[in-house]
This record gives sequence, structure tokens and C-alpha cells, in this order.
Amino acid sequence: MKWFYRIISMFMAVLFAFPLVWMLVVSIKKEGMKITSVVDWFTPPYSLSVYHEIITGTKLIQWSWNSFFIAVCVTLLTLVIAAMAGFAMSKVPFRYRMFMFFFILAGLLIPGEAILIPLYQVAKDLGILNSYMGLIFPVLASPFAIIVLKSFFDGVPNDLLESVQIDGGGIWRIFLSIMLPLTRPALVSIAILTFIGSWNNFLWPFLSVTDDNLFTLPMGIPTLMNQYTEDYVKPMVINTVASLPIMLLFLIFERQIIKGVSLSGIKG
Amino acid sequence: MNSADFAVFTVKSASHMGRLALMKMNKLRADVQALLFLLPFLVVYFLFTIWPMIKGVEMSFYKWTLIKKMKYVGLGNYERMFQDHDFWASIWHSTIFVIITTPLMIVLAIILALIANRNSRLQRFYRSVFFIPSILSVAVASFLGLFVFQPYTGLVNSMLHLVKLLPDGAEIFWLTETNLAWIAISLLTLWWTVGFNFILYLSAMQDVPDEVYEAARLDGATDAQLFWRITLPLLSPITKTITMLQIIASFKVFMQIYVMTGGGPLDQTRPVIQLIWQTGFRKNDLGYASAMSYMLFAILLVLSGLQYWVNNRKEAN
Repeated sequence: MKWFYRIISMFMAVLFAFPLVWMLVVSIKKEGMKITSVVDWFTPPYSLSVYHEIITGTKLIQWSWNSFFIAVCVTLLTLVIAAMAGFAMSKVPFRYRMFMFFFILAGLLIPGEAILIPLYQVAKDLGILNSYMGLIFPVLASPFAIIVLKSFFDGVPNDLLESVQIDGGGIWRIFLSIMLPLTRPALVSIAILTFIGSWNNFLWPFLSVTDDNLFTLPMGIPTLMNQYTEDYVKPMVINTVASLPIMLLFLIFERQIIKGVSLSGIKG
Repeated sequence: MNSADFAVFTVKSASHMGRLALMKMNKLRADVQALLFLLPFLVVYFLFTIWPMIKGVEMSFYKWTLIKKMKYVGLGNYERMFQDHDFWASIWHSTIFVIITTPLMIVLAIILALIANRNSRLQRFYRSVFFIPSILSVAVASFLGLFVFQPYTGLVNSMLHLVKLLPDGAEIFWLTETNLAWIAISLLTLWWTVGFNFILYLSAMQDVPDEVYEAARLDGATDAQLFWRITLPLLSPITKTITMLQIIASFKVFMQIYVMTGGGPLDQTRPVIQLIWQTGFRKNDLGYASAMSYMLFAILLVLSGLQYWVNNRKEAN
């Protein structure tokens, strides 16, 4: 029985890893070789010349950078905006709090996909199509992040805030040096989800950008692929170049990422 | 992630509103401070969520092209939508995708979590292997899918040839036959996205105290009994959440289908998002596309409502 579990486990692991291993191996295969069986992909001759060709001959690196840069900006700005709003919702006793809460809650019900068409028109009216701003700003309002952070802020005892106030600390000091450090796990969790969301955002860049210097990976990759469907080496080099940085990031921050993802489920 | 994912969570949050004593400050000062802290959010929220929401209503009443507003058509776009076979077909395709992937996603996530949970020594390895496809860009995952399922030289057919499950000379045309295309798209999606649900299940399993299992084992329970009688029931709250999240997320499927089949063969796999995009940006009909968007919105709203209801029932029990 134990062996049965082990075999199933290893089988699943191999199944999950195999497409990626295949991608990596094909990407270093010499171009134009005859492939008659799957084994041929894994045998020499190898060559890195296609890497050179793709990196110098296309804008793939630029697009990776765009994806990364936009994801970082979106993540940081979303965190700042949502943490500030969540803090106000949780700890500042202003009038109309209940109204504001439902106003934000309503945003949870509006799926981004359903307002993309008018959003295009709005972005056009604002003149931010084809710009980094146009790629970043429309995705910053995250009612989800606010509501999650608010409930984490709710957990911070008010005695703590009062003692800071008695010591003469203002609202910013409470926010920056008490609330944020105490809710760090939640912030990290939101950051990871936001980063991955932005990294994979396809539809909005697809609609709003036509300048290929501003393409992100999900947008740029298809434009390269159309030219190379006959040979697998170039597509796999493209896939690999686009994936290695993010995979490396994952391996470095594995623990935090896994923790962040699992935290997002606890509250469900 | 921004649809009505966290219903229970928010309800709890709302009920806290009245009870929590807050920071001490006078009324006017509190109003000013709150506005200051909420301002950045309110600006982006209004500009890029609320305003488009309103604008979309206007657009759906017009013949509206990429260049400009053309003419008022009243409910014309909506009338057209209700008789539009392509539209309902695309809604059905998205629904098919939901129906196929949701149960498989849950079962697979549980199996993977069981595997990782049993292997304490190799847990980190399994966690990484099962999760790593989830971090691939949607474009990379989609194109991997496209090449993996190619006839003649694709990975799946080659492997089947290698182990002689597929006779020499025979080929499976995964992406050009409707039913096979759904299988290929679903397998790719499972591989690519199961990681998130896997992690959620794994952490839920790890929250179950060992004593529970030990006690049951002392009473002579078998592994199978432990799973069906203890693990699975304890996972049911997270299963409900994942199910609803999955349904809503899957309904919005687009890119992997767009890349792998282009919506074909003969538009037989075209999801609703793709149709909306084509109508708006290929056929230059933003007005009609807006009307369709509102129908999609209504559907997602109903699904969210359903989620809210399911979660609330969970609370009541």
C-alpha cells in the first residue's frame, strides 16, 4: 500500500513537471532536426543559438521587463491604496462609514471583464491608451484587498492605538508604525495575489495597447508565436525566456508565496 | 480575484462595524482624516470602475464604434442579443467549460494535497512541483498547451506513440475536434491552475490536529475511513468556497481557448469573453459588445448571489 502511494505520488509529480522539462529541453535543442519520436527531443545536438536570436532579435526581454515593471507598480500602488482605505474603514470613526462600506462592497460584485468595453472608451477619453499609466491605473481599485485588509486591521486592539495617541502619536504614526507592521502577513498575501493577477492580465493590455514597446508578455508572446508554428525550438525558447525569471523568483520566495496563497483561503 | 469571493468574510466584517470602539478623535477631524485616507482609492474606483459602469449603460443604448458614438438605438442591442444564436452559444461554451473543469479541479486538488500531506519529507518538493505551473504567464501556459496537444509532433501524441497506446500512423487531432478540444483545454487549465486550490486544501489538511487521526486509528479506522469520515468532512467549508470561486473564475475563461483553438472548430469552443471582444474590436460594434457585457455581468451577479447564499447557509449550520 505504501508503495502504491509512492508510485502514484511520483507519477503525479512527473506528470506535472514533464511539460516544463520538455519546454526546457526542446529550447536547447538544435533547430531544424528531424523529430520522429519523443525521445529525439531529449537527445543532442544542443544549441543555444536560438536563445541569442530571440533575445537580440525580438522585444521579448523588453516585454518581460514591462510585465515585471507593471506588476510591481500595480502591486505597490494597490497595497498603498487598499491599506489606507482599509485603515480608514477599520479605525477612523467617520460618519457614513456604513454607506462607504457598502459602496466598496458593491465593487466586489463588478467583474472587471464585464466593464472592459466601456473602460476602453473611458481610457480613450482620458487619453491614457497606449501608456504605462493606462496599463497600471485602471486595475488599482481593489475592493477585495480593502475588505481583506480591513478585517485584519479590525484585529489590532484599540488599546494599542490609544496608548500611541496618549504618547502624542498622530494618525500617520499609528498607520505606519503599528497597523502596517502588525498586519504584514496579510499585506504579503495581498501583494502576491495582486502580482500574479497583474502578471497574467491579458485582456486589458490586449485591448488598450497597440504600441509593441508597451506589450506585456501575455500580449507579446502570441505575436511572436504566429511566425514559428512549424518548429518547436523557437516557441519553446520564447516560453523559457518568458518563464525563467518568474520561476527563479518563485524558488527564492517559495515559502512566502505558499504562505500567502494559503492565507488567502483561510478567510473564505 | 475581485468578484464576490469573500461573502462570509465581508458579512463578519460588516457586523464588526458598529461594535468596535475606534480611535479617539472628534467628529469633524475623523471625517477629514478618513476622506484623506480613502481619497486615492475613491479616485481610481470612480474613474475606472464606477464611471465605466455608468458609461457602459449609455453605450449599450447606442450604435457605437471604436471611433465615435453613432446613433441611439434604444433597447435595440438587447433585443438583438436575445435572438443572437452566437451569443447564447458562447454562453453555453463558457458554461460547458465550467461544468467540465470545476469538479475535476476539486478532485485533483484534493488528490494532490493528499499526496503532499502524506509525504512530510518530500513535501516541499511536491508543493513546488504542483504549484509551479500556476506562476507561468497565461500566454506561456496557453502556448505550451498548443504545442503539447499538436498532432504528429506534439508531446501527448508522441508519448502515446512511445508507449504504443496509439498505433503507428494514427493521430489524435486534439484541437480540431470539438469534444477533444474541450478535453485538451480542460487538461491544460487543470495543470496550469490547480496549484492554488491545491495549496488551499493542503493548508486546510494541515490545520486538522494529528490527535484526531490518532484517536480514530486507535479505534481501528482504516486509511480510507480516515479520509472519507474525517478529512473530507473537515474540508467541506473550503470546498464550498473553492467551488464558487472556481465557477466564477472559469466562466471568464478566454486566453487559453483563444490560443489553443481560436474558439474553433467552427466557433464550437468560443467562450463569451472572446465573442464580446470580437464584437467590440473586430466588428467595431462597442455598443452591442457593451450590451453583451451587461448580460455577462448579470450572470456573474447571479452566480455571486448563489455563492453568498451557499456561504450564509454554511454560517447558519
